[in-house]
Amino acid sequence: MLAIDFGADGRVVVVSGRLDAAQAAAAQAFLDRVEGAVTLDCSALEYLSSAGLGVLLKTQKRLLASAGKLRLTGVSRHLQDIFAYSGFDQIFEIEPAR
Amino acid sequence: MTARRGFRRSIDALPELFAFTAETIAGEGRDGALLSSVDLVLEELFTNCVKYGRGATPVLVEIAAIEGGVEVMLTDRDAEPFDVTRAPPVDTTLPAESRQPGGLGLHLIRKLVDSIEYRHTPQDRCSRIVFRKTLASTAQRTQTGETHAGD
Repeated sequence: MLAIDFGADGRVVVVSGRLDAAQAAAAQAFLDRVEGAVTLDCSALEYLSSAGLGVLLKTQKRLLASAGKLRLTGVSRHLQDIFAYSGFDQIFEIEPAR
Repeated sequence: MTARRGFRRSIDALPELFAFTAETIAGEGRDGALLSSVDLVLEELFTNCVKYGRGATPVLVEIAAIEGGVEVMLTDRDAEPFDVTRAPPVDTTLPAESRQPGGLGLHLIRKLVDSIEYRHTPQDRCSRIVFRKTLASTAQRTQTGETHAGD
């Protein structure tokens, strides 16, 4: 399952669980509402498929068009590989998990 | 270890598919690090069956243990031929504004698997895809820093 919502400070979006083809629409519906410079905390994101990558790309393109951007933090080693294979490491500012 | 299960042709079947891989791969003592890669490859292949297949028969998934990893076979009956190993390359160097969502699934499969074979038999309209994934290949790619090779 997937959970996505604003964190306690109301500025960071926290995503957890699995962002797969079955959950992509829910994630997109949430991210379609964010504006400006947005940080997405991925430290509890266990899994990401191409459907999830599509959600992130669509969001990034929309935000960049209005001088905003999506920044990813807490990215695991496996997800770093997926982003690199996709070339998304050139599209997103990525902060690895500690 | 060999496990076999059929899955209804629906995106909503993904949790059942992931439960199957978890109990088969992690549950059998295989390294859990294999699981995310196998899940991703299977999801991309399975969702293709859902999007483009016409049959009502379940999609069959078989997982067998091999040295250091697993071999997975996906069988889709009543399927149009579509060779997943011959998908056009994706230009992963384009800036965000030039990238389009979609097309990354088959690209990621090529990056993640050790080998993949596709076979379609027109007589029974059956597509079979077999891929192998070992932990050694993942470790090797990480050590060499490979990211964009192979297209």
